[in-house]
Amino acid sequence: MSATQVSNEVTHELRAICGHENTRERPNGGVYVSPSLAEEVAAVLSFANEHGLSVGPAGGSTERSAGELRTDIVLHLNQLTQVEHYDCGDLTVGVGAGTTIAQLNEMVGADKLMFAGDPPSPGRCTVGGLLATANHGPLRHGYGAVRDYCIGVRFVTGNGRRAKGGGRVVKNVAGYDLMKLLIGSYGTLAVITSASFKLFPAPRQTRTFLAEFKTAKEALVFRDQVVRSPLSPMCLELVSPLARKLMRPETADDAWVICVRASGSDVVLARYRKELGAAITNELGSDNETRMWRAIENFPDSAKLSGDDTPISEISRRIQITVPPERVLPIIEALNALWAGGEIRVAMTGRVAVGHVQAVVWNGNRNTPDVLNEVVEALRKSAGDDLAVRVDGMSNPWPLGPLSMASMRAVKRALDPNNVLRAREIF
Amino acid sequence: MQLPVVVDQLRKIAGRDAVLDRPEDLMLYEYDAGVRKCTPVAVVFPQSTEQVAQVMKLAGSAGFPIVARGAGTGLSGGAIAPEGGVVVAFARMNRILKVDAANLRAVVQPGVVNQQLSDNVAHLGLYFAPDPSSQKACTIGGNVAENSGGPHTLAYGVTVNHVTGLTVVLPNGEVVHYGGKTAESNGYDLTGFCVGSEGTIGIVTEIIVRLLRRPERIATLLGIFETVDDGARTVSAITAAGITPAALEMLDGWTLRAVEAACHAGYPLDAGAVLLIELEGLAEQVEEQAEAVREVCYQQKAREVRRAQDENERALLWKGRKNAFAALGRLAPSYYSQDGVVPRTKIPAILQFIEGVGKKYGLRIGNIFHAGDGNLHPLILFDPRDPAQLEMVQVAGSEILERCVAMGGSITGEHGVGLEKRNLMPLLFTDDDLDVMLSLHDAFNADNVLNPGKLFPTARMCRETVGPSTHPVLTAEGM
Repeated sequence: MSATQVSNEVTHELRAICGHENTRERPNGGVYVSPSLAEEVAAVLSFANEHGLSVGPAGGSTERSAGELRTDIVLHLNQLTQVEHYDCGDLTVGVGAGTTIAQLNEMVGADKLMFAGDPPSPGRCTVGGLLATANHGPLRHGYGAVRDYCIGVRFVTGNGRRAKGGGRVVKNVAGYDLMKLLIGSYGTLAVITSASFKLFPAPRQTRTFLAEFKTAKEALVFRDQVVRSPLSPMCLELVSPLARKLMRPETADDAWVICVRASGSDVVLARYRKELGAAITNELGSDNETRMWRAIENFPDSAKLSGDDTPISEISRRIQITVPPERVLPIIEALNALWAGGEIRVAMTGRVAVGHVQAVVWNGNRNTPDVLNEVVEALRKSAGDDLAVRVDGMSNPWPLGPLSMASMRAVKRALDPNNVLRAREIF
Repeated sequence: MQLPVVVDQLRKIAGRDAVLDRPEDLMLYEYDAGVRKCTPVAVVFPQSTEQVAQVMKLAGSAGFPIVARGAGTGLSGGAIAPEGGVVVAFARMNRILKVDAANLRAVVQPGVVNQQLSDNVAHLGLYFAPDPSSQKACTIGGNVAENSGGPHTLAYGVTVNHVTGLTVVLPNGEVVHYGGKTAESNGYDLTGFCVGSEGTIGIVTEIIVRLLRRPERIATLLGIFETVDDGARTVSAITAAGITPAALEMLDGWTLRAVEAACHAGYPLDAGAVLLIELEGLAEQVEEQAEAVREVCYQQKAREVRRAQDENERALLWKGRKNAFAALGRLAPSYYSQDGVVPRTKIPAILQFIEGVGKKYGLRIGNIFHAGDGNLHPLILFDPRDPAQLEMVQVAGSEILERCVAMGGSITGEHGVGLEKRNLMPLLFTDDDLDVMLSLHDAFNADNVLNPGKLFPTARMCRETVGPSTHPVLTAEGM
């Protein structure tokens, strides 16, 4: 049987499961399917197991183009947009994995509530994608990571079993915490079909205070001052000079900026002004404030190289680095040294008070193919043991290799025994 | 391997004075704070990760099951030994290994008492947020196993939200490290998976915890209501006003009178219910929220709202709450504490249902619970010497939990499933859900060496295991 014949049969079977209009062949072999029910997701995975086919789940493709997935079947979850439960009095919501972050926020925003996940490109990024990548935005500082407010998941395991973990209530320790396993597993264990979340009251009034510094070191001294103060801002974000220049080309490119976003009454905001003191160079409210945070959230998605309009996201790698907060400075210095020593360009943002730095790196002359290895090596040398690195859009998102591969394999075998999900990428 | 040989081997591993095997000593390890009992065949007190690994290997080769134990304050039977089992007690692994104030982390051994960690870092302005009512006695290892909560989980989350790394001895004796000091890890979140797995995946021997900074101001309010219903409605009214208190606790009138008689916390004796509401944070914010909460309480027909004027008054109000379970011990020989959860808007309805269940079975049920997150603790008083009463209490408890699930809730918010609620798991989870969990269990603990009989319904665990009937130690000893 030739590959084409297999593909024809496969396409035929998948059409029977998901419907003709939701199934199409990929130009370079393989099939896209877009199921509209969790049962169909399970049927696709069972079929893939029976026929030894690999499957790659895809959401809004904000991290990685679905076209890059090398699996036999690409499983688009964009049709799973059902609302499973929503009671604003309970501050909980459950939605299908294909719901975008923007749709979710629009729904709960009408009741003055807020979903605390603020990944780049919320109009495209889906709930399933956010969970699979454990991605976050500036709200990570004040509201925690998605592992902290996801209270339940429904999913289909690699071998086609429909199951769930958690539930719909904010406090629940019944059974294994499967949310934790699936969040950040990059679709290698199961396909998330829906999830429930804890919501937060939307702040009634916010202000953003900006402080500019000549060096990263001074900026981090200010970070420590804020962290040790009684203040508890919603966001505390560092923006490097290059990142700022790319977000707002009209600005000077020599300042490291700490952006502190606070919510509360006039009296509370006055206290922020007093505590933050003379370091504050600018204060933003209303539209200016919203625009600035959108630019940070979306960086580098909307940024372009000055001169030739090349989107940064097309030529760069986005590296998520997490270290103990005290080790942020050595990380930034190591990245800066790379820049100073060669053609590598590094633009940084980050929730630095929780030890996070997002480094967007690319090669200045764009001749050498990939700068990733060089960057990861520099990070390893400067950070020591306590270093977590994720690289979006890679077939293996963990370039340092996990601490406990044997346990990861055991979990993988339990949920995806035939290695169907993202086969041959990580395991 | 015969029992004396096992005990001898355990002594070789942990030391001569680190193993108990006399019946009078073992009796102290046969129970926790719940209602189940089972006497272990031996108790070993390891002093290092290496010793735990050796005990684990011995258990695997000699074929006896083991269960880790902290302070035995658990309420679901998680630390009760299986038949023929050996208890691995962490009383001698109770050191705080490192406090890293700059990075808000501490590295602790599992036997460290919850309150001791907070006391130890208080001079740095830091504390460990999970605060079970038993925090003066319970250990952080136990908190990790059960994913324990407490009143302040409303704002800060349960134990899993405060653990970033673990050293774990797996059932095959291998020592692994999950996570670390960083907020994220390379690879799967095995730390998060392991927390709350009730000692069925591995035995934790080192824990990296997150510490929080003490807030600038704390306001503790006591809202006094004529009826339980008024108090219950106030809970969701506070949240609807956009306020997330650090803690929001409720005591019904009958319970608060019992507590007041024992603790003299200053609770009003003639109230229908009280809410204990704590607000934390920036001084200005706390003052505004305290005012807003006061208004909401009065809108919901509060008779009075008091505020603790100083730390002593605050401590007294909390003393009543935290010692409530013990206070009820004055009224009956025992109590059965439930841990159901409902969406918070369903609190008035579930309290009415619980009242009905009490009437139906002629049982006295007190309610003292974490109202803010809908986590109920109906306390059913009974006399354990009467087997009929115990059975009725368990039936009544199950009825309450069934209703919690029917309302969209859960069978446990912070105590864990353990022995107590394992057969209620099918209320929440389908066969497929449980199969998936069981396949993960078996990926680590296929031979059931570690804490068998917990968390999963008995029907699912009736497989070939190191259970009592085939147990070599027991058969040799004729136990």
